[in-house]
Amino acid sequence: MTTDLKRSPNRRPLQMSQLGLHLLIAFLLLLSLVPTVIMINLSFKNGLQYRWERWTLSLPLRGSNYLSAWDVIDAYMINTVLVAVVGLAGVLILSLIGGYVFARMRFPLREPLYYAIIALLMVPWVLSFIPAYMLYNNLGLLNTRWALIIPNVAGGPIFGIFLMRAFITGIPEELYESARCDGAGAWSLIWRITFPLSLPGLATLSVLNFVAEWNSFLWPLVTISDMSKQVISVGLFRLSRTTNDSVDFGSGGPLFAGYVLASIPLVILFIVLGKFYVEGLVESGIKM
Amino acid sequence: MSSVQSTQTDSAPSGRLSWRRMSPSTSLSWRAFRRSWQAYALLSPIFALLIVFVYYPPILGLIRAFFRWRPGVPATFVGLDNFVTYFTYAETPHELVNIVKLLVFGLFAGIVMPFIMAELIFFVRSPALKELYRLLVIIPMLVPGIVTVLLWQKLYDPYLGPINDMLRAMGLDQFALNWLGEHRIAIYAIMFVGFPWVWGVGTLIYLGGLGQISESVYEAAALDGCTGVGRVMRIDIPLVLGQVRLLAILAIINAITAFQNILVLTDGGPGFSTMVPGLTMFHSAFRAQKFGYSSAIGLLLFIIAMSGTLIINRGIRPANEELRQ
Repeated sequence: MTTDLKRSPNRRPLQMSQLGLHLLIAFLLLLSLVPTVIMINLSFKNGLQYRWERWTLSLPLRGSNYLSAWDVIDAYMINTVLVAVVGLAGVLILSLIGGYVFARMRFPLREPLYYAIIALLMVPWVLSFIPAYMLYNNLGLLNTRWALIIPNVAGGPIFGIFLMRAFITGIPEELYESARCDGAGAWSLIWRITFPLSLPGLATLSVLNFVAEWNSFLWPLVTISDMSKQVISVGLFRLSRTTNDSVDFGSGGPLFAGYVLASIPLVILFIVLGKFYVEGLVESGIKM
Repeated sequence: MSSVQSTQTDSAPSGRLSWRRMSPSTSLSWRAFRRSWQAYALLSPIFALLIVFVYYPPILGLIRAFFRWRPGVPATFVGLDNFVTYFTYAETPHELVNIVKLLVFGLFAGIVMPFIMAELIFFVRSPALKELYRLLVIIPMLVPGIVTVLLWQKLYDPYLGPINDMLRAMGLDQFALNWLGEHRIAIYAIMFVGFPWVWGVGTLIYLGGLGQISESVYEAAALDGCTGVGRVMRIDIPLVLGQVRLLAILAIINAITAFQNILVLTDGGPGFSTMVPGLTMFHSAFRAQKFGYSSAIGLLLFIIAMSGTLIINRGIRPANEELRQ
């Protein structure tokens, strides 16, 4: 990059610097994608190919690895989807209600109550992790799916209300005025006006929440001991540990096919919700 | 943080008064509360869940940090014993050194590298390629976090890993090390996961910030001959300080509290060479059943992370908002 790109009357240095830029970006992206490419390549290999030609493409591709992988991780995938979707439903409902109340209703102590919620964003999980485990232990919720659903339903609306309040504040007041004139109560203002108009905000929140649930690892690792209720992250972790030398799974290919399968829900979500996916990722950074 | 403040000012819709602006006598009277029963009724399930499952655990942790606390046994108050135990534990200085290493490195990987990547993409002229690069930055994020770490474990494998395969192919057999298995190197191998650290959320956050800089600022700068690297130093960096602050806070909290990667890659080993306080907290709770001691370490980490956050919040002041679109 030269410092005086724009003043240069000759366009060639500009082209050259753009070419250099593209090469540099391509190099960095290539390095970033190496693990992903290796994962996909290894997922199609049989035991011998895995042993002797790990880093090259070997034909024929062994697609049956995916069937072997699915047989082992199907329960983990289904458990995770189940827990994530049930939790997400709760998060969306509570965030919509909370966002509406704080954006549109007028009542004493509104701001203190709002900040009492938002302040919780500042509490790092490290302070709550151990005592939360004991709380779920005392409530008899360990090793039940509730141990995975409740933390999300209770904690998800914290950021959800922050996000939805900002979003709902942007809805024009006239829409509410006319509905109120027709005698609509708070409940129908939420479901008939706010809900359809805040779908983009809810989509962002859904992505954010689902990705976080799909990635959650430490909490299910300690709270769920029964592997039939376990989620995908912990399931893959255990498989990577226990099956290294076993004949059926640990020959390599199927394990990597399992890694690819575990990525597919996120890929689908990204394809379906593109823009909201990116927003969800960025918001997740802000959320901490 | 700045977004929290901005919603505060936007939040009172036209024709409505925030509670602050109402006189206290009307706003806090019983009548006002009773007239607003609907709002409280709608909020009650949210607060019920928050109080039991979100407020209560950290408060319990704060208290039980001063107790001996095991499942099924009544907790006994032990004063500062848990803290004294941690500070006199032989491995503690070592764990703190590891945290400092992770922190210094985390600030570089979390702030500098994403910024370089975002600037490179921002300088691309072709809108289509710009969009393509942004898309490719996202692809590695579509792999679950645990899978990324497990993949890196495979990359490091001393016998079957591509890193050592490559070194041997180049005739550099003496450098084909057991990356996660040697005392001196393991902590650096853990840091290296995610190389070249340009594909995280950071790049997207910076791209968002750079996109907000007003075109007129760039035009004025170009007229003064301020382009290229000079523009980056004098215009872009001051105007993305808000993003820098956010990513610095994230990097600090992450370096101090996160231990998931270490748990998966080395579990603190070999020996104690990659132990960090977070992992000691985890082990003392779930292997040794010392939940009071574990809560004390959690509290210490909270205090350190909070102080770091406050220092960054004071130290980095974002530039004038008017220069953004």
